[in-house]
Amino acid sequence: MSVMKGRTDQLDNYEPLTAVDIGGLILKNPVMAASGTFGYGEEYVPYIDLNRLGGLIVKGLSLEPREGNPPPRIMETPCGMLNAIGMNNVGVRAFIDRKLPFLRQFDMTVIVNIYGETIDEYKKVAEILSTPDGVHGLELNISCPNVKKGGIAFGADPDTAHEVTRAVKSVTDLPVIVKLTPNVRDIAEIAESVAAAGADAVSLINTVTGMSVDIEQRRPHLKNITGGLSGPAIKPIALRMVWEVVNRVSIPVIGIGGIMDANDAIEFLIVGASAVQIGTANFVNSRATMEIIEGIDHYLKIHQIRDINDLIGTLKTDR
Amino acid sequence: MSPSVGEIVLNRELIAQHFLMRVRLPVSWATPLPGQFVMVRVRDGRDLLLRRPLSVYTFDRNENSLIIELIYRIAGKGTFALSRRKAGEYIEILGPLGHGFDIFPEMRKIVLLAGGIGVAPLSFLASHYRELPTGNQQEIISYLGAKSTDQLVGADKMKELSTEMRISTDDGSSGHHGFITELLADDMESFTGGNSVVYACGPSPMMRRLAEVLNGQPIPCQVSVEERMACGIGACLGCAIHVKDRGDKTSVSHGGTKDNEPQYKHVCKDGPVFNIRDIIWS
Repeated sequence: MSVMKGRTDQLDNYEPLTAVDIGGLILKNPVMAASGTFGYGEEYVPYIDLNRLGGLIVKGLSLEPREGNPPPRIMETPCGMLNAIGMNNVGVRAFIDRKLPFLRQFDMTVIVNIYGETIDEYKKVAEILSTPDGVHGLELNISCPNVKKGGIAFGADPDTAHEVTRAVKSVTDLPVIVKLTPNVRDIAEIAESVAAAGADAVSLINTVTGMSVDIEQRRPHLKNITGGLSGPAIKPIALRMVWEVVNRVSIPVIGIGGIMDANDAIEFLIVGASAVQIGTANFVNSRATMEIIEGIDHYLKIHQIRDINDLIGTLKTDR
Repeated sequence: MSPSVGEIVLNRELIAQHFLMRVRLPVSWATPLPGQFVMVRVRDGRDLLLRRPLSVYTFDRNENSLIIELIYRIAGKGTFALSRRKAGEYIEILGPLGHGFDIFPEMRKIVLLAGGIGVAPLSFLASHYRELPTGNQQEIISYLGAKSTDQLVGADKMKELSTEMRISTDDGSSGHHGFITELLADDMESFTGGNSVVYACGPSPMMRRLAEVLNGQPIPCQVSVEERMACGIGACLGCAIHVKDRGDKTSVSHGGTKDNEPQYKHVCKDGPVFNIRDIIWS
């Protein structure tokens, strides 16, 4: 009994170190809210303490406001969902005027996801976001599958991905994370290419393109016909891709894809992701990010891991 | 506005495919307004992932308990799974969410037009009017439409709350044989601007016909609409609706000044209640 009690006391008494370094950006913990699932942050204030988040990736912003796609934009699928929102956003200037002041109140790393139809637009959005206080990093969206121009068009080819990354790096001093699409032949090749262009980190995966059909109407469930699949259904794909990428690049990798709880997040960390992003889980459970932060802490304690960095990339294989 | 775990008190089939779920919630749960909705987590686990949006049907608060009732129709796997839930089990309910109906204590005639399961928010609205100090001076005239008699849900309760209730069925098995909007159109001359307001909820073909019936009439009309959504709190931007927004939920003219170009609003946050004249029917 006394031994057990002693051990419990020990667990309660130490706080594991959870800070991670993402290309010069220090996050207080590795749990971030993924772009497009957390609005501009304010939507979640009734449910969670934003100060506790490792980071917030703001909804993808373009130079001008975008209306997005016609509805229906959402369809649930087995263990996941399809979306075709179409980069519905307020535009970069409205974000700075109307949304950013609110986010500045919090002690939180704010990363803005940016999107353009041309390389020039990516540059302009990046430039505009490099001036104001309160933006700590950029995430380059070269992977949205639901728009006709831009997005995935830049992320599917290593040379174009290289070009847009280099262009954005040339106009900003902010750390630049490049968000990659899984809808390619070799995602690690794209990762290598953007790393060579100066990306400070890569995040993956964006959604997997998919489709669903109403058999009574013989129509696609989404007005856009195809959409991006997210949720638990894509987690094994995401994990495999993170594994491939960490073995090919030396910049930090952020794992995204179907993370629903702390165990899922820990799988990504073990495989080698330096941080994770929580997306679809926020729709299902508004407190998902908080529960994952707590769950990772608990795991570190019961495994007596003092620093989360001692867990990252510790996958044991027999190859 | 918080996610709360409630206890299912009752989950009973009212008529074929239509269920009533009664849930006891923590007293901290906020009081919903008519037209507001909740997001219901059908069950734990990784399939049937998304919460389902359901309108509040009844709500009752006393000192130490709080009871909410929802009615739903089995329309797919999610609502089927919901219908399998048992009394005594726990269920997560997020809400109340969205902007509900505007209330007009000065209006003499409250006209309610419900198609099928659309009766839920209108029934809640009717009880709200009945509880107003002016409630007994207001006539509630309700119109309930369904495919057939055995699909007519919530009629008993609505009848209790209404001064007058009229029914239609597509197959003529009860009431008027035809659409509910036809009954309303026949009665239109008894409603006048300044003393009547119309509220509606139902399938979009019904709402579209209602918009035609009201065209040129000086009577305000608010409708509760539905769209597929993932989060219910304005984050996913999935539940887009095409509107001309004038910031005036009672205007009776059709929108469309240059300042009010068509735009997408979001059903969960800007709605689910909209001025019918603002909606652009695709």
